[in-house]
Order: sequence, then structure tokens, then C-alpha cells
Amino acid sequence: MSLSPYVPIAGMFILAIVFAVFSVAVAPLLGPRRYNRAKLEAYECGIEPSPQPVSGGRFPVKFYLTAMLFIIFDVEIIFLYPWAVSFDALGTFGFVEMLLFIATVFIAYAYVWRRGGLDWD
Amino acid sequence: MADVTTGEQIVFWILAPVALGGAIGMVAARNAVHSALFLVCTMLSLGVFYVVQAGAFIGVVQVIVYTGAIMMLFLFVLMLVGRDASDSLIEVLRGQRMAAIVLGIGFAGLTATGLARGLGEVETEGLEAVNAVGNVPAIAAELFTHYVFAFEITSALLITAALGAMVLAHIERRKGERLTQRERSRARFAPGNYPAPKAGPGVFATSDSVATPALLPDRTIAERSLTDVVRIRELTAAEARPKGTDRR
Amino acid sequence: MEELHLPPIDYAAIAPLLLVFGAGCVGVLVEAFVPRAWRYRVQVPLLLAGLVAALIALISVADKRVSTAGGALAIDGPALFLQGGLVALGIVSVLLIAERRVERGGAFVAQASVVAGTDSDRRQSSQPGATEVYPLTAFALGGMMLFCAANDLVTMFVALEVFSLPLYLLCALARRRRLLSQEASVKYFLLGAFSSAFFLYGVALLYGFAGTMSFTGLREAAAEAGSEDTLLFLGIAMLSVGLLFKAAMVPFHVWTPDVYQGAPTPVTGMMAACTKLAAFGGILRVFTVGFADINLDWEPILIAVAIATMLVGAVMAVTQTDIKRLLAYSSIANAGYVFTGVLALSEEGVAGTMFYLVAYGFTVLAAFAVVTLVRDADGEATHLSRWAGLGRRSPLFAGLFTVLMLAFAGIPLTSGFTSKFAVFSAALGADQVTLVIVGLISSAVLAFPYLRVVVLMYLSEPAEDTPTVSLPGVFTSLALVIGLVATIGLGVVPGPVLELAEQASSFIG
Repeated sequence: MSLSPYVPIAGMFILAIVFAVFSVAVAPLLGPRRYNRAKLEAYECGIEPSPQPVSGGRFPVKFYLTAMLFIIFDVEIIFLYPWAVSFDALGTFGFVEMLLFIATVFIAYAYVWRRGGLDWD
Repeated sequence: MADVTTGEQIVFWILAPVALGGAIGMVAARNAVHSALFLVCTMLSLGVFYVVQAGAFIGVVQVIVYTGAIMMLFLFVLMLVGRDASDSLIEVLRGQRMAAIVLGIGFAGLTATGLARGLGEVETEGLEAVNAVGNVPAIAAELFTHYVFAFEITSALLITAALGAMVLAHIERRKGERLTQRERSRARFAPGNYPAPKAGPGVFATSDSVATPALLPDRTIAERSLTDVVRIRELTAAEARPKGTDRR
Repeated sequence: MEELHLPPIDYAAIAPLLLVFGAGCVGVLVEAFVPRAWRYRVQVPLLLAGLVAALIALISVADKRVSTAGGALAIDGPALFLQGGLVALGIVSVLLIAERRVERGGAFVAQASVVAGTDSDRRQSSQPGATEVYPLTAFALGGMMLFCAANDLVTMFVALEVFSLPLYLLCALARRRRLLSQEASVKYFLLGAFSSAFFLYGVALLYGFAGTMSFTGLREAAAEAGSEDTLLFLGIAMLSVGLLFKAAMVPFHVWTPDVYQGAPTPVTGMMAACTKLAAFGGILRVFTVGFADINLDWEPILIAVAIATMLVGAVMAVTQTDIKRLLAYSSIANAGYVFTGVLALSEEGVAGTMFYLVAYGFTVLAAFAVVTLVRDADGEATHLSRWAGLGRRSPLFAGLFTVLMLAFAGIPLTSGFTSKFAVFSAALGADQVTLVIVGLISSAVLAFPYLRVVVLMYLSEPAEDTPTVSLPGVFTSLALVIGLVATIGLGVVPGPVLELAEQASSFIG
């Protein structure tokens, strides 16, 4: 296939990389450097930076639940994409299929909502 | 071999080492977060490969689902484990690691040579015909006609995933176990609790760090400004001195 | 762009599938909207009604032989017979899963997300179990039914995942020994995901080889291929790894004992009966529809797998000291016997295999039902030493278990004998003499652990702390009776079912 539609994207990528590298490389060369202890410390909202717990600190498991729910609806959207592109060709039966699919996945949504999976605490 | 455009070759020779290096890095990295980032690298490269090989749809899926969602999940799992947790070096089964490496390389070699033999002289065929109406519409045509049943049943898979995530990761609080707003308000103003914010550093403070206790007008320490979490820190004389970091 | 059209769908033929999946979806809605106290009372009748309706629908379409939904589903004889077997075994499994009398609140934990061993875990030990298991069971059974009817590789893969995912979850929900249960689930999930990846790789290679996903297309392409086509053989190999893993064949069996031991016993029973049946349904279709006409270069490898499965399963069963692990290894060996029927590659072999799967399913479910009943203060007493002297304590259940063990051992007048006879005679008919000889040796070896349990129950003195056999509730009793009647019935008068299997033994496409 022809790759020409992707040339601008590749150009954009290269531009972004060059810009990022340029900014990072030039700043220390041009900027004045006067350090003191306070400046070198990690900024933590005015509190003394507290050392991380030995295990590295764990996150509450509810983040996992959120991520998992995100994936479920992400996968649902993947199916919407070809359907939307071919909507004209698919016609009514495609519409009904998609409605059925969304309604079924919505059962999962209803379950999660009713059981409090969407509440944060 | 079918024609391969120069652009495709350039993309391949740049990204193939990236993808392979990412895969090796993922396995070899000691730190779990580094592993995850190596995996992102490999997955993005694969996404580009798919697009280059005229599979626009699978490329998009690769980026949205794998690099986006799955990686997010992966990172969360890492954070649950603890991000500094690295592999233990103790082998539960003696020689398991070595055997796994040898067998893995053997399997990879076997598959690679087999594929090379099987695909070496194969002419690509039918790609233009399949993509004649465009890659995504072609996929839609298959998905919503021949594979319609598989497509609909996928929703059962998604329901199961939601059910599983809820069952394994969500602790359901019954009525009464969770405080309502009213109860929280009552608790806040109940005797024994101080409802207002704790005292700030005050005008006589030498530092605005939360770790420095607030001073009352008589220069005594305000007890309420002390927390159990942050240890009290007295500034040393050197630290309290003007620092001279500004340009004079 | 040209208009697309929905392929014709024979809704009557897929009604059983839709009913089971529908029961699952309604079950999730029940979980969402019905108050907690009512869920159990709604879920169990709902799921049982769904399965019974599916069975009735299956009987009403028993003569159908169609390929529907754009060729994705083949509702033919084997598919209908296996679906019928699945629904029947599924009903018995649901009876075991729904049992709440033997243990307060049932075999499932109330909230699996509570960390095991904490205070809140102890607090929930007397709460009724999670009712999510019922929709999960429905989805698992629906996925298995689809797996037996899938006529192309994509549908087959989706079905594989649809029935695997709920099983991974169900394994993690045991009320007692929760860490063991969660470990079992993780092992099953990781290895299962790995085997799915192999399956998928095989699908990709086969598509690369044939340019089509449908089994008929694959067969046509494979018939033309030379014996040297690497893509085809790599594809078959990878596909087989995925399928043989689900059927727990050596060397893809290592997960079986751990998972069978850790999972809640009703779920173990369902895995031993239904998952095995579904996996072999898929294997039958792949090897008899997809690759029947190619040069049979892969056959020696599969024969080796079958021999290894029969021998390893039997020998390892001898060394076990835990009844659930013993039954797990025995199920591995039994998978080997079933596979001899598959390798006959004849209609007789298909019929024998299907008969074996159904007969074995009922027996193994009844055996696990007895395992749920032998309890002490810590829950099920699964260590064999605790079964010593059980025959004196409760002669009825010991006698029952003895009958089941004899059936496993293949004593005449039980289903174990007739089903082994069916697969071995089919294998002999296809000149697989080696397989039959190894099968007989393996059966003889495997009879030893069964008889050891029987001897242990009757000839040992009961100790002070020999567990009691709990009085089964209505559901377990029903499951036991069904299992026992099927075990003896299929042994004494196997004719009708065997005839049904023979009538249903030809694939379409």
C-alpha cells in the first residue's frame, strides 16, 4: 500500500522529538545555575519529602476496578468504530445488532452501578 | 516476495529493533515499572507495523486497547504489587529459570525457522482485493455478517469481565457501614472534635512548611498545629539565614 | 458502497444457546436490581428454568442438521448431542452449586474481595455465599455449548474464552481454604491465558495457510496441501496445544490437580464433567471436520499424547493422598481414554467418545457430590486418611461411593464399562491396537487407587475423629440420585443413549 498519507504524521513525530530533545538539551546550557538545598529537594506541597515505604507504596485495589471497567468500555468502543464507518452499508440490521450488543454490555454497566462499583469510597 | 516499498522498509528497520529491544527489555528489566514501559514501546511499534502492513484497523485497536487500556491495567497491577518490588532471585524449582530460557529459545528457534521455511517463498495474495473498499469497512462487512454471532457473544465476555472485576476487587459496603453526609457532619461538630482547620504557620513563622509548628503571639508553639504524621523540624541557623540565591 | 445483508439465522436451531445466555444476562440483572435477601431464591429457579428450557428446545430441534449464522455455527448431530449432554450435566452441576444445606451459606464465599484471614473475613464466614456464581455458571455453560457448535476458528476462540473466563472466576470463590482457592484460580488463569495464546497463534497460522477460518474451507485447503506444508503443521500443533490444555491431556495437564483441589468442589465437578465434554467436542470437530483428509503425519504425535495421558494419569493417581487430587488424576487418565475414541477418526469413534463423555460426566459429578458431604469442623475432609472407616460410620454413602469407584474402574454393569467398551472397540475398529492395549493397562493400574479408597472405607477401623457424612440437602440428594441412576442405567441399558449417539455421530460440512 501507499504510505504517503502517513508522511505528515511521521513528520509531526520527528518534529516533536526534535523539539523535546532541543528543549531538554538547551535549558541547562543557557540557564543560570545556583543551587541550594531547598531547591534540590523534591517539592511535596510544603511538607518535608517523606521517604517512600519500603515496598514502594501500594495503591488501593479500587484503581484496578476502575481500570478494568475502562477496558470493558474501551473494547466496546472498538466494535463501534467499524460499525460507524460502515453505517450506510450495514443499514437496519447493523443498527439492530449494535443496539443488541450495547444493551447487553449495558447489563454489565447496570450491575456495576447498582453494586456501587462507580462510587469512589 | 511481493513488492515492499522503501518507506515500509525504512519503518521496519527502524522499528523492528525497537520492538525487539523492548520485548527483551521487558523480560530482563528488574524493576516492574521499567518492564511495563518497555512493553509499551514494543506495543506501539507493533501498532505502527500493523498500519504499515495495510491493517489500519488492527493498528488502531493495538494502540487504543493494548497500549492504552491494557497498559493502564498493567500499571495499576504493578502499583498494587508495589513498584519497587522486583523479582525474587530464589528459584522455587531448581534449574527452572535455566530450563525455561533454553526451552524458550528452542521454541522460538523452531517457530522462526518453521515460519521462515513456510513463508519464505509465499507470494502475498488478495490484500488489494480485501482492502478494496477500505480496511475498516471490509472488517465491518465480515464482523457484522459472517461473524455476527461471535460478535454478539463477545458481550457475554465483557459482562463476565465486569462481574469478575467486581467480585474480586470490590468490597461492597452494606447500608449502615458507610457514613452518610449527615453522619459525617454530626461527627465533625460532635464534642471532642475540632471542626475548623488546624492553625497555620502564623505571622511570626520563619518557614511556611507544614513541618514547622505554628507560633502563637507569645512565641509559644501552637499545639494544634502539630501533626502525628510529619515530624517537627526546627530550622538550623544556616537554613534560617537569607539565602542569597536571588540576583543582587 | 454495496449493501450488506445479514446472513440467514435459524433461530430455532440456536434457541438452546440463546436461552442459556439469556438466563445468564437476566441473572446479572437480578444481581443488579433484586434485593440481597431474594437473590438466591430468584437465581436458582431462573438458571434451572433456563437450562430445562434449553433442554426442551434441544429435544425439539433434535433432527436439525444445519449450518447457520453465515456458516459460523454448525447445528449438527454431534453439536446437538453434546449440547444436550452439557445442559443435562449443567443441571446437575447447578444443583451442586446451589446446595446451601450441607454448609451454611453454600460452598461459595460471600465477598471474595475481602482479604482472606482478616477479621472481616471471619465475620463473613456465616453469611450466605455470593449469588454471582449463577450467571457465571450460565455463561460458562453457554460458552461450552457454543464451543461444541462453532464451525469456524474465530467463533471457536470466542467460545473458548466465554467459557474459560467464568471458570477462572468460579475457581477463586471457595468459602473455605480461600488462599488455596485463589492460588488455583491464578494458576488456571495464567496457564489458560497462555494456552489461549497458543490457540490463537495456531488460528493465525491456519488462516495464513488456508485463507479461511471455516473448518470446511480448512479441510479443502488441507486436502490439497502436500505433507510438507509448514504453516499447516505449525498451525495444527499450536491449535492442538490450546485444545489439549482444556481437555487436560499430558503434557498440558499440570494445572489439573492443583485447580481441581483448590476450586470449590461443585465447580471442580462442573470442570471435570462439562469442561472436559466441551473440550472434546471442540477436539472432535477440529480433527474430524477440519483435518480429516490430510496426510496423517500428526497422528503419531497425538497417539503419543494419548498414551502419555493414560499412563501418567493412572500412575500419578496411585500416589495421591487427597481424594480431590486423586479424582483429578483419574480425570486426566479418562481424558486419555476419551482421546482413543477421537483417534479412531470414525463415526463409531465419535459416537463412543460422546457416549463416554456423558457417562463419565454423570459419574464424576456424583463422586464430587459425595466429596462435598464428607466433612469435619474445617470443611471438607479430603485427605484420604480421614476417609478410613467411613464405611462403618455411614454405610449408605460409602456404598454409594463404592459404586461410583467401581464405575470408574470399569466394572461391568456400570457406565464405566460400557463407555470404555465403546471407545476401545471404536479404536480397535480403526486398527489402533497399541492405544487399546495401553488403555487396558492404564485402566488396570487406575483400578488400584479406586479400590484402595474402597478398602480404606470398609476395612479400617473408624478413628475418633473420622469425619461425619453430612446429611445432603435436597439439591445434592437430587444430584447424587441422578448421577447414580445414570451410572448404573448407562451400564445396564446403554442401548438408547448409545443409539442416540450413533445417530448423531456425523458432522456436517
